[in-house]
Amino acid sequence: MQIRLSRRQQAGWLLLAVTATAACSAPAAPASGDGTSIVIGAAWEPENLNPILGYAPNGASKIFDGLLDRDADLTLRPALAATLPTVSADGLTWTVDLRPGVRFSDGSPVTAEDVVFTYRSVVAPESQSPIAAEFEALETVRAVDTDTVEFRLSFAYQPWAQRMALGIVPRHALAGQDIATAEFNRKPIGTGPYQLVEWRAGERMTLRANRDYYRGAPEVTDVTVIFATDDNVRAQRMAAGDFDATALPPRLARSYEDRPGHQVITNRSADYRGMGLPWDLPITSTPQLRRAVNLAIDRQAMVDTILAGKGVPAATPISPAMTDWHDPTATFAFDRAEAGRLLDAAGWLPGPDGVRGKDGVRAELPVLYPGNDVLRKELAIAAASDLSAVGISARAESATFEQMLERRTTTAGVWGGGDPYDPDSAIYSLLHSRYADAGGYQNMGRYQNPAVDAALDTGRRTTDTAERRAAYRSFQQAYVADPGWAFLVFLDHTYVLRDGWNGLQSQVEPHDHGLVHGPWWNLEQWTPVR
Amino acid sequence: MKPSAPPRPSLAAAVWRLVLRRLLFAFPVVVLVSAGIFVLGKLSPFDPVAAYFGVRILRASPEQLAQIRQDWGVDDPAWLQYGRWLSRLAGGDLGDSRLFSQPVSTVIADRLGWTVLLVGVGLLTALSIALLAGVAAAWHRGGWFDRAVTSLAYAIEAAPVFWLALAALSLFAVQLRWLPAAGVSDTRADVSFAQVAEHLILPAAVLGLAQAPWFVLFVRQALLTELASDYVLAARARGLAERAVVLRHALRTGLLPAITLVGARIPELITGALLVETVFSWPGVAAATVTAATSVDFPLLAAMTLLATVAVLAGNLLADVLYAVVDPRVRADG
Amino acid sequence: MADTGTDPATEARSYRRRRSSVRREGAGDRRPSSRRTVRRRRPGSGRPGPGEKRRARLRQTVSIAILVLLGLAVLVVPPIVDLDQQQVVLRQADLPPSTDHPFGTDEVGRDVLLRCVYGLRVSFTVGIVAALVATAIGVVVGAIAGAFGGWTDRILMRLVDTLASVPHLLLGIFIVAIFRPSLSAVIASIALTHWLSTARIVRSEILSLRERPFVDAAIVGGATRWRIIRRHLLPNVAPQALLAATLMVPHAIWHETALSFLGLGLPAHLASLGNMINDGQRSLLTGVWWTSFFPGLLVVVAALAIAGLAGHLRDRTDPQRRAELML
Repeated sequence: MQIRLSRRQQAGWLLLAVTATAACSAPAAPASGDGTSIVIGAAWEPENLNPILGYAPNGASKIFDGLLDRDADLTLRPALAATLPTVSADGLTWTVDLRPGVRFSDGSPVTAEDVVFTYRSVVAPESQSPIAAEFEALETVRAVDTDTVEFRLSFAYQPWAQRMALGIVPRHALAGQDIATAEFNRKPIGTGPYQLVEWRAGERMTLRANRDYYRGAPEVTDVTVIFATDDNVRAQRMAAGDFDATALPPRLARSYEDRPGHQVITNRSADYRGMGLPWDLPITSTPQLRRAVNLAIDRQAMVDTILAGKGVPAATPISPAMTDWHDPTATFAFDRAEAGRLLDAAGWLPGPDGVRGKDGVRAELPVLYPGNDVLRKELAIAAASDLSAVGISARAESATFEQMLERRTTTAGVWGGGDPYDPDSAIYSLLHSRYADAGGYQNMGRYQNPAVDAALDTGRRTTDTAERRAAYRSFQQAYVADPGWAFLVFLDHTYVLRDGWNGLQSQVEPHDHGLVHGPWWNLEQWTPVR
Repeated sequence: MKPSAPPRPSLAAAVWRLVLRRLLFAFPVVVLVSAGIFVLGKLSPFDPVAAYFGVRILRASPEQLAQIRQDWGVDDPAWLQYGRWLSRLAGGDLGDSRLFSQPVSTVIADRLGWTVLLVGVGLLTALSIALLAGVAAAWHRGGWFDRAVTSLAYAIEAAPVFWLALAALSLFAVQLRWLPAAGVSDTRADVSFAQVAEHLILPAAVLGLAQAPWFVLFVRQALLTELASDYVLAARARGLAERAVVLRHALRTGLLPAITLVGARIPELITGALLVETVFSWPGVAAATVTAATSVDFPLLAAMTLLATVAVLAGNLLADVLYAVVDPRVRADG
Repeated sequence: MADTGTDPATEARSYRRRRSSVRREGAGDRRPSSRRTVRRRRPGSGRPGPGEKRRARLRQTVSIAILVLLGLAVLVVPPIVDLDQQQVVLRQADLPPSTDHPFGTDEVGRDVLLRCVYGLRVSFTVGIVAALVATAIGVVVGAIAGAFGGWTDRILMRLVDTLASVPHLLLGIFIVAIFRPSLSAVIASIALTHWLSTARIVRSEILSLRERPFVDAAIVGGATRWRIIRRHLLPNVAPQALLAATLMVPHAIWHETALSFLGLGLPAHLASLGNMINDGQRSLLTGVWWTSFFPGLLVVVAALAIAGLAGHLRDRTDPQRRAELML
């Protein structure tokens, strides 16, 4: 009927279309060109382009290189480092030799001092880096000579190698400045495969290939990134031929599955969406009650409908895509009856209106979600509806991130996060009791479980890989016995890409929707189809 | 303010007096609106320091925050802050937009042209529709066309603009793929005349259609009034052709007021632009205002509100001047 | 003239007067200029024929019937806000209209018809409350300006003219943005931007009433100014205020939907018509048109029906007043 209404006006529209402009040509043909340029519609715009302030800490940044980077299997390989780092027997000293002859885009050579400056700045309190917590194992970093760097860690932190994907910035461009407000943040100087040409905030960014890239100049030489946070806008502009590639939610991406000249790319991820449960609220205050909440949720229905099948149910923050770490037995069944029994046993009995209560307290659990995030909204509504079905009065409410943090001790919040590189970085600050009162996006539900703490500490401080795996398995078992969250789903990230390039490789992705990860993570290796 | 005017002041003198009077009125209005914006901002929970830091505020030290609060004078008395703000405004410094990381004046300068283009073409579209539909409806008053136009006009007037925009977009850009959906040019192409023209059709047509009902009904009503006036009756009595009567006499006297009133429609045009630019991702000031509002970019939002006020006042002035030029009675009214 | 809603021709005339009221500074002691505008009646001009009269009556009957129907629907549905969120059936998402779901289902499997009724209630509540608050502000300001005259009048009317210079939606956006979207912020943003015309109407009405003999009698009888306002002036402007409030409701609903559509309206979990259109537009590209179409249609129907009702009220109002009631 939408269309019928419009057709009634069609005559008028046509008239307008003709009169409005005589210069109107036929709609432009898809703008693919010869494949040396690409237009990417990005869902998310970075606040800055400074690795110290958290831009692309996991590599694939296009503009910078880390000491290491990852291949399609997420295996670390040398980038600015000449070889993989050498680690001392106690796991505390990491030494890296730099690749010779690499230069920043301003022509200056990369030296050990630049590496030292980058890492020191991340952990320096005055830079206020949002990623500082992930680097807390770092005790000192020093330049042994111009092309050798030595990291000293305060404990044997095996995932440190993952931290070496951080992009390296030139010291001379930032030293002595207030990092938070430096001009560099919008006019970066790096060694990466691309250089920033122009950044019109809120609108677009243009990048040009770095001809002197140490791995060889990229064949896709011109990259335009258009920022459009609204899924619909990206879908429209993709449909209109404005974009060569973009991230779209599964339901919007699906329509391209049989459209000629396009492909839908589905990448697995460690990107979870989960409901942080407030440790102190009566209805979620004991392990049994939190288990009941987890059992009451139909995660498969969320995957099937809200994600259009592109995802998997989540029980813990470790994604099934992290095959080395995931414990397939640590799950929650969808079992309303069992959830009801647990609630009954805990003394929360249904009242006349169907809502449970205990000692005059009603079972109320508001579920907050960020108002502009459609996916989280739908998950929140579905979870709230599932909880209502077992007698917990849950109501999805939109809020801002700030409000969600403020109210985290009395409401559940739908959060997202996760990375596939090593379990430690995503989980430790999320569930370790040390972070229960740290504030910010750390242990939002104030979760405190000695067994989980012990497993996370073992996983973090052990150098033997088999022992680490065992530790994270025992973490998953301890966690499902006493869940602090209701993790809901791991998303598959879906993208639409116009045909025309070779070299695409699928990679398991972290929580990110911008120009960094995605099918274009290795854009510099793409070649146009001729 | 009664002018000691000669019985028939010259047109130029009358217009000048009018302009002067309106400017005298406009100045306090702008000051008052700026004060209102400032007071509202002070009453609201908006905190510029918190906005500047965003989520990073969680990691900032209290000393750091206190230093910035002091540097920015956030906790000074309100009148002092207002005075500072006003003097900067007067000096042409509208502040910096956090959202676009640019001076507000640059944001406006970059985008105002696009909005003027969209609104201008939309307005022309509305006037063209009004001329055609309004005249035809009045000519055949009570006929099926008249009734259809009138009903449709009320229906469109009642329909939310963005709803019309969504319908047009889903039909012409998504289903039929005749026209581009968003922006002002294909991403890869340079901004050229043909590109812009093509991208302009949908948003301008929707804006024009949404504005048209008022003008259609205005033209229709004005024409009906004129058609019943004595001189038209006289012309008819003299046996002039119906066509000539309508087109030569009635239309001129009926349509002129509609055009002079365009200036008074600025508020509605701004409202329409806010919604249409948002739906079609048009890079104008109106869409920027909406983005500024969603991310509480206070300096940009405040500047846009002031700018809109100035536009409305200018529109009123334009309407008055045109009206004075067209209608000699107003001049005498001085 | 059987037109409902805004009549551009009368708006044009009232526009001329508005200009002249700005020009006449300190006009508080004079009769409102509208009284001076003599409506010229010409033979065979704007006078409606019998067919038009019949159609007008029909339109009013239909309008009132629709409003009664919408009102019943809104009242009959259980008044539990949470219920909206318990209708989620993920397995039945995005179903097209059918006999089970006449308006289809939305992206999480809620019945769109049921949601529309909730949405109508939320939007109507917002619209009516905002219109009442706006009318109250307008009546108070207009009455004070009209009854006190002089400097009070001049300052208040200058304030009205100032506010009239800021586009409604923009000022609304500004208010909601800095006070954060919420029910009260939306109502405030509508009420604070829509009282201007009511204030002008009430003021001019009171200016004309002041010259009527019974007011003189009251003054001679020693009544205080407030008593005169309360006892003699306000009751006489009540019908105009009611009509203005009625005409304002569709405008307020429109304002709510526009704000919500821009993401600056009611909290996203409230089922208002604007939020529903905003949600529904996301599905438009996947061919799911019913989730945005029906809420939008309801906005149109409700607005036309209220305009029809207002037209009915207006036709029973002094024709001299009609011009100024055009909002």
